[in-house]
Amino acid sequence: MSELKSYQHYNVGDHLDEITQVVEQTMIDAYADASGDVNPLHIDPEFAKTTFFGRTIAHGLLTLAFVSRVLSAWNWQGWAYGGELNVSFLGPVYPGDSVRVSGEIDEIVERDDGVYARCQLACFCGERVVVKGFVICKISH
Amino acid sequence: MSDYVKYSSMSEGDDFLDPVPSFEVTKECVDKYIKATNDGTKELTVDDEQGRRVAPPMLAAVYVIDALRTRVGPPGGIHAKQQFKFHRPAYIGETLFTTAQVLKLYERKGRNYVEMTTETRNQHGELISSGMITRIWGKEG
Repeated sequence: MSELKSYQHYNVGDHLDEITQVVEQTMIDAYADASGDVNPLHIDPEFAKTTFFGRTIAHGLLTLAFVSRVLSAWNWQGWAYGGELNVSFLGPVYPGDSVRVSGEIDEIVERDDGVYARCQLACFCGERVVVKGFVICKISH
Repeated sequence: MSDYVKYSSMSEGDDFLDPVPSFEVTKECVDKYIKATNDGTKELTVDDEQGRRVAPPMLAAVYVIDALRTRVGPPGGIHAKQQFKFHRPAYIGETLFTTAQVLKLYERKGRNYVEMTTETRNQHGELISSGMITRIWGKEG
């Protein structure tokens, strides 16, 4: 395995195209319906008031769907066919929050079966980091 | 008898899903997911060379959670960490089978954590995705 500074049009330090998505309760409800995850913490304001959060929060996996949009636009082939995602959920996304997804290539390595890039990922609600982690995708096709 | 899985009933190494549930990747569920997550990825709108339509990689959030829903924790539980490896995207028309195993059980700051590994294959046994979920178990009444 050898480290590279760049490969084709991919370079260490490159930033992925960011997206920003406003999350309203209607989106959370639609995601609950689409995913079947009807945990009342996400969709029942009265129940959510009794929890640590005090109000409903978005599904963590809804936030990951936004991450997937960024990665699909960056490198569909590498993401959908072999992509490895590893993230921690650090804070809640509340209805009305605007989620910004960012990523930066911090490593490019050549393995026996191809060249891979690792991107550090972060999702922000304002200054708050709500998701942090990384993804590894093949960039030689 | 409670209608959820009690933390104390689980042991490390347990097969969490028995019997293994199935999930049909229908056009309806894929379209619903794409709409709910506002995903405009162009590869999701066209058939491949073999006339197949791929589902978004993060549909894993739906079929894995759907599988886990057959043995849910108490309301109020949340995701702490998520790992996914997408071996390939699922196609519309496939039937997916997800297995899950309890990897680790531990307590931190008065909260119960459950780490589970998951593996999803299609009706022919082809590997679609594998992952690891860390959930903070909801408070048991």
